[in-house]
Amino acid sequence: MEALEPLQLTLEETNVITDIFSQAITGELIGMSNFASLADTIDDPYEKMEAVEHANSERNHAEGFMHYAKKNGLKTNINLNSIYWGNVRKQFLSYAHKKNFIACLIIQEVMLESFAVAMYTDVAHALGGKAGDLFLRIAEEEKEHLEHSSDILRAALERNPEAFVNKFEEIHFNCMTILSEFTATTDLRGHCGVCNGDCMKGSLHHIGLDIETLRGNALALYAQSLDDIGIPGEKSIVWIARLPA
Amino acid sequence: MDSTSSSLDFAIIGHQDSWQTITSFINTLRKPDLPELSIEQTKKVFPFIPPREIYKIDVTSATGRKVKGAYIETFIEPDKLTAEYARKNVCKVMKAIALATKIGAKIVTLGGFTSIVLEGKVAALNEGRTHFTTGNTLTAAFIVKAVEKAACQKGFQLGKSNVLIIGATGDIGIACMDYFKNKVGQLLLCARNKSRLQQVSNSVMGEQIQYKSSVFLDELIAEADVIIGVASSSNINLAGCKPGVLICDAGYPKNMDAAFENNALNDLFHGGMGQVKGGYSFMPDYSKEVYSFPVPHVAYGCTLEAVVLALESKYEAYSFGKGNITVDNMEKMYSLCQKHGITLSPFYNSSGLCKMKGEEAINF
Repeated sequence: MEALEPLQLTLEETNVITDIFSQAITGELIGMSNFASLADTIDDPYEKMEAVEHANSERNHAEGFMHYAKKNGLKTNINLNSIYWGNVRKQFLSYAHKKNFIACLIIQEVMLESFAVAMYTDVAHALGGKAGDLFLRIAEEEKEHLEHSSDILRAALERNPEAFVNKFEEIHFNCMTILSEFTATTDLRGHCGVCNGDCMKGSLHHIGLDIETLRGNALALYAQSLDDIGIPGEKSIVWIARLPA
Repeated sequence: MDSTSSSLDFAIIGHQDSWQTITSFINTLRKPDLPELSIEQTKKVFPFIPPREIYKIDVTSATGRKVKGAYIETFIEPDKLTAEYARKNVCKVMKAIALATKIGAKIVTLGGFTSIVLEGKVAALNEGRTHFTTGNTLTAAFIVKAVEKAACQKGFQLGKSNVLIIGATGDIGIACMDYFKNKVGQLLLCARNKSRLQQVSNSVMGEQIQYKSSVFLDELIAEADVIIGVASSSNINLAGCKPGVLICDAGYPKNMDAAFENNALNDLFHGGMGQVKGGYSFMPDYSKEVYSFPVPHVAYGCTLEAVVLALESKYEAYSFGKGNITVDNMEKMYSLCQKHGITLSPFYNSSGLCKMKGEEAINF
């Protein structure tokens, strides 16, 4: 990785950027673990190798964030068992244990990647500089995962539309409810267990962000992903409206 | 199940006119087990949602023919329709247009504010298998026919009346002017843009038509016997109008009622509206949340234009650009409406069905 610029930040800016890196690293490590588990659900050897490759890609993302944080003295906190990330992982594993490849793909590559791509992009534009470049590059790579999964999921929907939509609906409410609580304007389940001090949502304005826009853009990309897969709009509007506010 | 697999006769692209309606709709989707969202909470999610198909629509003609359509919501914010949001809003409309094409709608109307895209003469939109119309021809037809009917009920002789058009330089305003220019005593033309108003005035100059024009409403309003409001404005001041003036509020938003006390509303009606005698239905049925008219099966003229074109299997850009509506096309479209049992809506305003002075409630 190229040399990083020295950070000249206020304490408030440093704290919120540290928390953002903590969340990003934790999320990438969850993604890495999920793809590793996903590999176990796949029989096709090429798809299995691709899942491992994706796991490695998430690992590289986590390492990139960790490297930047270390170089710039950001004291990040990594907690894979934190309330929201831990629950997302549990949801993923419940489907992985049943070898439900499609469900795993929906959680990791549609739900989590939609949120990652949208939020990394917003963060990249807010931070600028080398940190911004890092987030933007990783967002681009995550977008490829999202597009790759859309092709597979479209084919699955075409094979059995009703069963697919019903299964997707179940997974949506199991997993997107957690992500919506995570990104709600107030901490609906208490402290997330990743941020160093108080919830970072109230401090995002120090770097020109706000949780409403981050969450809104993430939901927008998720909704767009549902459209790309072929989920009927009259279904997805109900799913989105029924998420925690 | 996949929305892209079915072919539709028509689609309507639209937006909601108030946060109350939007919040009520979202809360319906959250029933019965989730807490209701406030308007403020709704505002934090709704504007981010990409355009999507919300419900299917079945319409039955008086001839017995049925057509199937879909409503596509743009998620444009009702309080952000001004020029400063134009780029963002046009982007949403373009996404809705792409969706209408994807779901295979044969004819699509761009309702309310969304017609701005077609008024901008986006010819490329009509090159594919999906065709687009602003629906303005039927809206204009419903306005002028309703004004004639109401004037007759009130005992007005339009030939001796001064008819004021607020928003005279818009597509519908120009159509109303063309229709009435040889039928009324005097045309009073009002619009905010001076050069455009001059252009429109020039078009009637030399036709031996009595007319006056001004960018200032208060210079014209005292003379008006009939007022047709077709402007996109939320602050039209009707102070100084004659007592008993007949007002057709067909602008966006329809809020001219606000200038009057409830008991003085008798001569104001919401124009540009039609009623489908054969009925229509939504699936899922959100009519309780999104239907706000005092009688059943009322709809905006612009949306009904797509329905009529679908019933006629006439998939073409019937209304496009600005200033292209002809009186002949208005008459043809209105005549097709009659064939399919689509009539003028009963007169109503924000207080309910209208009563013209000294008469029983008007109900056709």
